[in-house]
Amino acid sequence: MQADAEYVMRVVEERGVSFVRLWFVDVVGSLKSLAVPASELEPALLEGVGVDGSAIEANARGSERDVYAWPDPSSFQVLPWTTEPRAARMCCDLRTPDGEPFAGDSRQALCRVLDRAAEAGLTLQVGCEIEFFLFDEKGDPSRPPTPLDNGGYFDLTVQDVVSDFGRRAIEHLEQVGIPVTASHHEVAPSQHEIHLKHTDALTMADAITTFRIIVKEVARDLGLFATFMPKPLDGLSGSGMHLHLSVYEGADNLFFDAQGEWPGKRGGQFLAGLLAHAAETAAVSNQWVNSYKRLAAGMEAPGSVNWTRDGANALVRVPTGRPGQADTARIELRSPDAAANPYLLFAMVLAAGLRGIERGYQLGPEAETNGAAASLPGDLGEATALFDRSDLARDTLGDRLCDWYVANKRSEWDAYRATVTDFDRDRYLRWL
Amino acid sequence: MADVWIYSPEAGRGSQMASQVAELGFTPRLVEANGGLRPSEGDGAASRPPDIAVVIGDEGLCGRLRDDDSFADVPILFAVRSEDLDGRVPLTEELLISPFTPAELEARIVRARRQIGGGDEVETVRVGSLEVDLATYQVTVAGEPVDFAYKEYELLRFLVTHPGRVFSREALLNRVWGYDYYGGARTVDVHVRRLRAKLGSEHAGRIKTVRGVGYRFDL
Repeated sequence: MQADAEYVMRVVEERGVSFVRLWFVDVVGSLKSLAVPASELEPALLEGVGVDGSAIEANARGSERDVYAWPDPSSFQVLPWTTEPRAARMCCDLRTPDGEPFAGDSRQALCRVLDRAAEAGLTLQVGCEIEFFLFDEKGDPSRPPTPLDNGGYFDLTVQDVVSDFGRRAIEHLEQVGIPVTASHHEVAPSQHEIHLKHTDALTMADAITTFRIIVKEVARDLGLFATFMPKPLDGLSGSGMHLHLSVYEGADNLFFDAQGEWPGKRGGQFLAGLLAHAAETAAVSNQWVNSYKRLAAGMEAPGSVNWTRDGANALVRVPTGRPGQADTARIELRSPDAAANPYLLFAMVLAAGLRGIERGYQLGPEAETNGAAASLPGDLGEATALFDRSDLARDTLGDRLCDWYVANKRSEWDAYRATVTDFDRDRYLRWL
Repeated sequence: MADVWIYSPEAGRGSQMASQVAELGFTPRLVEANGGLRPSEGDGAASRPPDIAVVIGDEGLCGRLRDDDSFADVPILFAVRSEDLDGRVPLTEELLISPFTPAELEARIVRARRQIGGGDEVETVRVGSLEVDLATYQVTVAGEPVDFAYKEYELLRFLVTHPGRVFSREALLNRVWGYDYYGGARTVDVHVRRLRAKLGSEHAGRIKTVRGVGYRFDL
């Protein structure tokens, strides 16, 4: 048994952990969990645990497939909010019965791109700002939720329950090894944002998955519910997941240029790759029907494919780093929403940037905030069609994962197209 | 300093192991692959058995060491490449499967010595209200357990057992991770940040950032 697996076994024994939750995600990033009692942990570590592979395909479930969840012992973490019986979690890779990576596993898809980057001598660091709304759990589910407060950007509200939420959530996040750099009230009433400190992409993807469940658990304990729905309320800002990206070649940050000639050759190529492939990867950065209502409405959500140093609506913003501090140099990708599958998102973002470097893309000039630029897709149907035809997506994720993803998104889009919404009734019922 | 004798069928693997063992603060001696159990030079150090024997890939030699009374108190670590594992595992105190990290090598040596020598290794490090139990991997602050992920624990263990010394990020990455993780040397910064948060205000400051160099653990 490897040393990290032995560590897990010993900690489970010493800390009285009764069961370990094995976590993995389906193709849309929804967390799946399988609880293994402590007595069955050793075989789980040595041989994996069988799961029904069709669960990975989300709502486009196909044929049953034998898949094994292999716990990653390095991700073992006692869940601090569980008392006796205590629980822990491990993130899993999914493999076929003969031990090969399962084609539908988003986590390993990300690992493959990270390996490819590492072969080119590059590592990606990701910091993340995630927005979400808190609402009263007891609200009328047939009505739009009522905001808990009237706070605005960076407002300090005196809502006790909200302050309590923030304190508890940050405490839990830190206890499971997810460092928080800041949290504040966001622009819309009832909207909050938490900043996760930059780390490598795989750790950040695991952290975001954990973050969302912690936020929901803490909210539920306080009689609230938290939602990462991209655009829950008409006329108010939606919830984004802004990614702060730094790419290192050895010790050198590609986005740092001591001579002030930003962004440097390879940094510019990476950014050009992000922009060039933004439209075809939108199905991953903005994967829900509702995602496009956030993008359509503006309110600081980007609609155009451009970059700026100071414009709030650009797809990529280049923050001013601290002078002379290479580690603070980064670019901020602003299109992803809070409900993206982080594994696929990071895989596609990195693959797009790498392609920019490999093929020597040229970065266009800094756009005016409202300048003419290529647009992101207008809806999920368009985004899915672009993704389906994307060589980059197929080269990066593989045909099977792409096909499952497309089947999911088509099914969601078709269901939406066939649904008569409040918009239809409000507008047409009496008029037409 | 503890003597480690290394038995290797190939000089290259033997000297690589010797440098890894030396990195951990032990004194390595290579034993010629001529079937003997002792180094060929007859100096004073070789006249007494080593503190630990590392046998690379030779099950038969493990058996002969075990049968030799003068090696009765010497813990044996059997090192084998994962592709060479064939189900025949000799009766040694510990098994080390390549590839391995320096941290794992150190842990295996500690465990092998503990099996022979009982509890004379330092098992608990105490710094104020911080206690790190090296045998059970349990960490407490003022008696309250603190839970760590594996690499967080390994980094903390390394720092508390090497207090007062400055280690670069690269050195810590090499000693604790042993491979180039996706995050490179910045992985160390992230883990230090997590350790500080979990240790709490009383002990967070013990992990000092030495600007431009790396980190140091202060007692």
